[in-house]
Amino acid sequence: MTSITLDNLHIRYPRQPHPVLDGLALAVQSGELLALLGPSGSGKSTILKLIAGIERPDTGDICFDGQSILSIPANRRNAVLMFQKAYLFPFMSIEENISFGLKVQGAACATIRAAVRRMLELVELPGIERKFPAQLSGGEQQRVALARALVTRPRVLMLDEPLSSLDTNVRATLQEAIRRIQRELGLTTILVTHDLSEAMVLADRVALLLDGRIEACAAPRVLFQRPPTRNAARFVGVSTFLEGTVEQCHLQSTLGRLSLPHNTAGPSRPATFAIRPEHLRLLNGAADEASNALPGTITDMIYRGEATEYQVRIADQQVRVRQFSADTDHAPGTVVWVQFPPEHLFEVEGA
Amino acid sequence: MFRRCKEIGHAAHGARTKQDVLHCFMMHQRLFATTYTLTRLVLYLVLLAPVAVFVLHAFSVRWFYPQVLPAEWTLEPLLRQLGNADTREALWNSTQIALLVSVLSLLVGYPAARVLGLRSFRGKSIVYLLLFLPTIIPPVATGIGLNILFLRLQLTGTIFGVALVHLIPVLPYVVFTLASVFARYDINFEHQARVLGASGWRIFQTVTLPLVLPGLMVAGLFAFLISWSEYLLTLLIGGGRVLTLPLLLFSLVSGGNPTSISALALLFVALPALAVALTSRYLGTEAGIRFQGGAGLGRGDK
Repeated sequence: MTSITLDNLHIRYPRQPHPVLDGLALAVQSGELLALLGPSGSGKSTILKLIAGIERPDTGDICFDGQSILSIPANRRNAVLMFQKAYLFPFMSIEENISFGLKVQGAACATIRAAVRRMLELVELPGIERKFPAQLSGGEQQRVALARALVTRPRVLMLDEPLSSLDTNVRATLQEAIRRIQRELGLTTILVTHDLSEAMVLADRVALLLDGRIEACAAPRVLFQRPPTRNAARFVGVSTFLEGTVEQCHLQSTLGRLSLPHNTAGPSRPATFAIRPEHLRLLNGAADEASNALPGTITDMIYRGEATEYQVRIADQQVRVRQFSADTDHAPGTVVWVQFPPEHLFEVEGA
Repeated sequence: MFRRCKEIGHAAHGARTKQDVLHCFMMHQRLFATTYTLTRLVLYLVLLAPVAVFVLHAFSVRWFYPQVLPAEWTLEPLLRQLGNADTREALWNSTQIALLVSVLSLLVGYPAARVLGLRSFRGKSIVYLLLFLPTIIPPVATGIGLNILFLRLQLTGTIFGVALVHLIPVLPYVVFTLASVFARYDINFEHQARVLGASGWRIFQTVTLPLVLPGLMVAGLFAFLISWSEYLLTLLIGGGRVLTLPLLLFSLVSGGNPTSISALALLFVALPALAVALTSRYLGTEAGIRFQGGAGLGRGDK
């Protein structure tokens, strides 16, 4: 079990205007699965390469259990990185591939054979020792790569979008497999992904990486329901932001006056609140002050199967509303009341 | 093709039925097959005719004007050539030099090609141009210049000196071949091996070498073939003391005996032909195919 601390990491590639990582700090607890979530080009993979030792930071420090590992070469860090592609050595059999790490360590033949068999059972592909990588499907190759990464019992496992090249069904099965194995072995794991739902499914905690910095780091539920900043909120699918002044548990916003949760008492101040599209409700009849609703006109409707999405214009601002009960359709042009349940309104930082 | 048949059929004899169209289609196919075979035969003829003349001369005695083919066949000229001390020395020298050049050029070319294929840096195209220069500059110029240097280093007239100077025409080909191998080589294979605990030397042995081996074989073959048929640089640096097959062949040609020329020419072609055959055979085997179609050798998406 190993904890990882990243401290003030800077890295900048030559001839590029912006640094890839700019003062990044992050702590991964022992035995946890942390997802690094972010758009492509946000520096996620670079972080893994720094921890693995394939690249070096310009400044900053990386510690395992409080001890700096920067002076340890990549092949002695015992931190295994698994890439998007399986990178099975094409000229080696599956057994030779999986046992690569053990052979490097100089393990005995009998130990190796037993370990390979155990690993193949763990990834649910028993009996394929004699096959070659080219004979396996993409999903099977990724499983073998996972077995190869796990066989040496690494201190840290890093997964760089290992499932993004696979089709949806295979991906779901492999997500389950990764989750199960990681919990079983209690491995400190960092998963890089640009897929929000994958991060939600797999991670104990999610760190959102935007522009080379950690924008937010929280448990999946917290990040999804209460993202702390405006950029984080946008990334997890929030599009409705209400700017205005908070006074006496009310928000006097550009859209209108709304009640807020009761813990927002205090002196009057400017603030931005946000709400998830699925927490907004469309009221059929007219509404009063008590229902905390604002009138608007429906401009667009998209039927998505499990939900229906409406674009509602309220006082020149577009508000996205996601309704799960699709019994009633509201045609574009209809005037509706949009309810803002106070318990779902949350404050975000940043303009 | 089928559609064209249909059109032709309609236009030419107003064919409507399925059978007519099918018949027309089969005729076209037959015509195509015939053309293909014919082209192949012509190509064989053009490529093999010069060699055939050598074979006829080398294995015959008393082949006079009105006869189309020689009256008597014999191995005697070939055996005489093999028994000749000069020929044996030249054959041995040529083999030694070509092998040495293959090894040296791979040793020098590998690091250069790796950098050129994997890294991008300012002035890369200039480096490529410089590497290409030896094939543009006349070898006489470089040869005479190097002659002075090699004299001072006491390398003239030695096998090693000749092998060194052969690197000039050989290296561009070796570096270009290997650079193209590394241009589509995925360095992440090595990164993967490294994070799994392998040291630099072990990675080279167990991962890199098997991945680039087919490329190394082709580059090595190029080196061998170019060195094998090099004449001018051998003459300039060898100074007549290092006798290779091309030198011997030239002196025989001025002698003008078609039978011995042909026998020696066949010997000259034999070893390279064998090398080409073995290499192409290796590249066609399971190992080569697995390498080419293996679990993705293309560059990674990241």
